[in-house]
Amino acid sequence: MARKVEIALGVGLIVALGVVGVEFLLLGDRAVAYTPMSATTLSVRALTQPIPDSVPNAQQVKLGQYLVRVGDCASCHTREGGAFLAGGLALSTPFGTIYSTNLTSDRHTGVGDWTPDEFYAALHEGAQVHGGALYPAMPYPYTTRVARADADAILAFLKTVAPVNERRSTNELTFPFSIRALVHGWNLLFFRPGEFKPDPGKTAAWNRGAYLVTGLGHCGACHTPKNSLAADRPSESLQGGTLDNWVAPDLTANTRTGLGSWSSDDIVEYLRTGRNARANAGGSMAEVVSYSTSLLTDADLHAIATYLKEQPARPDVKPNDPDAVAMQRGAAVFSDACTACHMEEGAGQVRIFPPLRADAVSQQPDPTGVLHIILAGDRTASTTTRPTPLSMPSFAWKLTDEQIADVATYARNSWGNRAQPVNAKQVSDMRSNLALTDH
Amino acid sequence: MSDSEITRRQLLVGGALVGAACVTGAAALHDGALGAPPRTIKGAVPWREGTADVPPMVQGTAYRFFTAGEQAFIEPAIDRLIPPDETGPSASQANVHVFLDHQLAGAFGRGDHFYLGGPWPKGTPEQGYQSRLSPAQLYRTAIPAVEAYVRDQHAGKTFKELGAAEQDVVLRALESGEAKLSGADGKSFFDMFLQNVLEGYFSDPIYGGNKDMAAWKMIGFPGAHYDYREWVSRHGERVPYLTVGIKGRPGWSQG
Repeated sequence: MARKVEIALGVGLIVALGVVGVEFLLLGDRAVAYTPMSATTLSVRALTQPIPDSVPNAQQVKLGQYLVRVGDCASCHTREGGAFLAGGLALSTPFGTIYSTNLTSDRHTGVGDWTPDEFYAALHEGAQVHGGALYPAMPYPYTTRVARADADAILAFLKTVAPVNERRSTNELTFPFSIRALVHGWNLLFFRPGEFKPDPGKTAAWNRGAYLVTGLGHCGACHTPKNSLAADRPSESLQGGTLDNWVAPDLTANTRTGLGSWSSDDIVEYLRTGRNARANAGGSMAEVVSYSTSLLTDADLHAIATYLKEQPARPDVKPNDPDAVAMQRGAAVFSDACTACHMEEGAGQVRIFPPLRADAVSQQPDPTGVLHIILAGDRTASTTTRPTPLSMPSFAWKLTDEQIADVATYARNSWGNRAQPVNAKQVSDMRSNLALTDH
Repeated sequence: MSDSEITRRQLLVGGALVGAACVTGAAALHDGALGAPPRTIKGAVPWREGTADVPPMVQGTAYRFFTAGEQAFIEPAIDRLIPPDETGPSASQANVHVFLDHQLAGAFGRGDHFYLGGPWPKGTPEQGYQSRLSPAQLYRTAIPAVEAYVRDQHAGKTFKELGAAEQDVVLRALESGEAKLSGADGKSFFDMFLQNVLEGYFSDPIYGGNKDMAAWKMIGFPGAHYDYREWVSRHGERVPYLTVGIKGRPGWSQG
């Protein structure tokens, strides 16, 4: 999920420089190239391999390994086909390509030579070891909340990761976006460094959840809406974001779009297995579940659930009524093309094919996620408990833009669902964003 | 004819045809298609965003395989096998000739799904199609032979110029094997031709035939629905599904 943040932040950075107008932001998603999901096996093995007690600082290294799971560092710092945490993943932005850094213990190209102070500065201030600011592709606005002891533990673990001498490719940003020093401008505007401060009025579980969600876990990087300069809107924390042609759904107590109708156990099951009675983890969240949440302790998952369950509900926005004839056409498409898996009445087949009735992704105000899934297909997370990654194929070849708009409108407004209708223009825009053709 | 009687010329013509078809057809292969190389899958089932196992779809109705002379035989002949009547359209009204044409121009015509190597002893009827000819070669050699047979039997007329009853006599003679063709096995050809016409009439419209799903509607077949499990226990109820093809039905676009 962090990858998407990086893109949004990268865009925001550039806009904040005042070099280009906001219209570039609007074009932003369109130019983002699709990056295939990296194979999870290698990273999951490295993230779960037992650390022998004979290692001098075994306890610290074990903690560091665990925190690397919490931060989902592997998603961005491991490229497809590359070594664990050796970086080099290309993060495509409309302004060029940013490559993730090498976090292995290599002394020349990795963090082998880094001191704890230098590493803490990177997490806490977004400062690079050899001077200059990190691009906010790295979610330091979140990792700034990480406690010093945890930062030290992460570095201790990284120093045990087999060294890979792999210098990352030079970022291919077009001028003037290539001027790294200009990041300071963005930082001045939007970055507030500071470790997490527990709220003494809340339970230990809530505070632990808050530390994970708003810190290393950087959930809001995707799930919090961004302002026009692509920085978080603090007042709308976790109300759902749109980036890289995906929707990161509302995580507040809203019963329609958020987690209001999910129990804490539902949240824990979803994060642990990638599926529950309400939803399957797909899109970018599939990686987050595979590399991160499925590998966390029960206590931490319950803490995350406790914190999320207390987020004030996102205010409802009343959608327009759908056109009756469009609903009729949508019902026809749904009955013929969707019920094989999602069943009549959108009941789904629980923990196999996600229900669409009362589904939050379907009812997000922004239909980006629904359209992405219909056009390009989707695959659920693979986890130890549910290893088989079920997939949905692309329907771009089978359905026209009008048919996709109608069936999306139908699914968003049937069986008790309610959300803004979709039009064919939105579908055709998404089709070109995803570089999919019509047949 | 028996397969051992094939002429050198027919083989050469057929070989050139197969070569040409391979050049044009290779790019169209997809997973699971006839002639696609087998793959070994390890670990997770492969999946890539934006992809699906898209069936090869016929675009337009222009001829790609049949020559003008062959068209003059095929179009009337398919309508003797499936004539128009009050229950449904004729084969040509359902675009069966388009289906045949595209099938013969592609993997089926090349015989990608057949073993076409020797030896070629005459097989028993139970052994099905036994020939060194690919389907495209069979059509290409048999149609002129049938026309030659018709000219011989009907004072120089072509098949198209015959009345319906006379055309039926010719087709029956091919079916029974009574018609002895020069340079082609009339019965092998008729058997495959009839089979292909039925396939075109009842296949999904994306393959060129069964225009407007008319053949399916005629027999009450609801078409390409994934399954009916939700209806299995609902005895006595009429399944409300309307006839639908792989690429949909009018209701998907019309209110």
